[in-house]
Amino acid sequence: MKVKFWGVRGSLPVPGRKTERYGGNTSCVEVRSASGTRVVVDAGTGIRKLGKEIAADDAGPSEVHLLISHTHWDHIQGLPFFSPLYQKGNKLQVYARKRDDLHLRAVFASQTDDPYFPIPFEEAKADVAFSELSDNAKFEISDVKVTSARLNHPYVATAYRLSVDGKSVVYVSDTAPFSDILFEDQFVAQPPGPGAELPAADKKKLAKMREGVVRLCEGADLVVYDTMFTPEDYKKQPHFGHSRPSDAVQICHEAGAKQLVLFHHAPERADAEIDAILAETRAATKRDGVKLDVVAAYEGLELDPENV
Amino acid sequence: MELTFWGVRGSIPAPGPGTVRFGGNTSCVSLRTSGGKLVVLDCGTGARNLGNSLLGGPFGKGGGEASILLSHAHWDHIQGFPFFVPLYIQGNTFHIYGGAKSSPMLEGILEGQMAPQYFPVQTLKNMGASIEIVAIKDGEPFSVEGCTVTARTNPHGRSGALAFRVEDAGRVLVYASDAGYAAAGAPAESIALYRGADVLVHDSTYTPDDRKRYLERGFSSVDDAVAVAVAAKVKRLVLFHYDQDYTDADVDALVARARRLLDDAGATSIEVSGAVEGETLSV
Repeated sequence: MKVKFWGVRGSLPVPGRKTERYGGNTSCVEVRSASGTRVVVDAGTGIRKLGKEIAADDAGPSEVHLLISHTHWDHIQGLPFFSPLYQKGNKLQVYARKRDDLHLRAVFASQTDDPYFPIPFEEAKADVAFSELSDNAKFEISDVKVTSARLNHPYVATAYRLSVDGKSVVYVSDTAPFSDILFEDQFVAQPPGPGAELPAADKKKLAKMREGVVRLCEGADLVVYDTMFTPEDYKKQPHFGHSRPSDAVQICHEAGAKQLVLFHHAPERADAEIDAILAETRAATKRDGVKLDVVAAYEGLELDPENV
Repeated sequence: MELTFWGVRGSIPAPGPGTVRFGGNTSCVSLRTSGGKLVVLDCGTGARNLGNSLLGGPFGKGGGEASILLSHAHWDHIQGFPFFVPLYIQGNTFHIYGGAKSSPMLEGILEGQMAPQYFPVQTLKNMGASIEIVAIKDGEPFSVEGCTVTARTNPHGRSGALAFRVEDAGRVLVYASDAGYAAAGAPAESIALYRGADVLVHDSTYTPDDRKRYLERGFSSVDDAVAVAVAAKVKRLVLFHYDQDYTDADVDALVARARRLLDDAGATSIEVSGAVEGETLSV
């Protein structure tokens, strides 16, 4: 199994000198099995370059399985620029959590509607199909086993575990910690007041959600986790739906995961700041006696869990 | 008036070492008028940096007022809007002008980007600032922040994009992004709009070869930009809206080609440069 990072940023793409090393494209991660099954998680702007590589490398038609964590822009905005979409014979299977109010195909089709984009979705020449998933779905994509869990993010997001070749990688983005707010579909205008007590039903739901995520990460070789926030960011914006590195470390520790990949970097985070966050996180795990390898995702990073 | 470029790229942001000099953010230009007012031309991802740069002034305290002119609603011209922080500060006022059949339709287009399946803020109404949205008509001058603005629709692939002529205290800026003229050249109305501009910021997405290859996308080549600059006798041409795959060296080559073409046409007095993210120029 090989894991490659094509986009590691959250919110919106951030070009420029400050992001040159870690990269400015939004979320996109590719997982390939030894037999060649290609699963891609999220379609942020990073997927544009993946598309170019697929077009250049694959001799025949391509087959891509695209798992979507949720449909906020930074996780889907690259898809109209994914060149295999416009090539006859290619296959694209899109998976995301089922919603009662909105069909998945409509969410993607609206992205390329007039007046937003010049090429409507119906003109994509590839064979595109959609699978709507239930919470805690379990299914197979060729030789890759997929399981999922619900995350704590506005309008709800999904985490995926992919297992193949005797290894597993878990993608946990985007999510808030499972402690201060329960996110559902409603807009949360204000952070909860200091010391605000959550309703018992919310607490119960969050505890269950957290347990689901820990279980999903159990014994994983790699865990890619939304660590967009510093502790200071989180204090100011607990209602924005993102985690801190310490939240990811805690989940990985409880789950006995081997390696944590810090992911979904904040748009304002310069390369040197990500270096510092990585160093702090490593120092904290060492100090606390947590046996966990930590890396920070950058564009172009390839990980082979065989070698972890 | 003073012009600052916050995003100069077309189609999709292009981060990476290859674009750091000219910049990888999508289209956004700000204009500081002679009266000190702010006008924003398009809201690509460059709008995020513009918004952040304003927070030290009245926009940070809810005392700011500005106008935003939108050429059209393709993503690379509106995708920075949800990340423009002054829109979230109560007390700020924004007037947004764009092309649509009616003002409610233009509002609907901007609401579409904020919808809960795409963005956590869910609706413009949750943004905080006071936002007025106005659909404008071709060729009818209107007043914006003390300037006179005239808009014309240029052909752009299957749709159109507005070009804006902004007149302020005797100076003229024209912003014409996303223009894909027919083989016969730009329509007379477009040349009339650009006529005598002190600065013409013009779509120069492609080399002539790429323009031919991607004809249906409806963008200009650098040659098209030079042709309208010469025909309209502008004083300065600024190349803009580079293809997402062009590196800094590719854009250097576009600028050099434009200079050569202008000289060959005997238009040696027309200045030319490529728009650079973060640079300010005086009109």
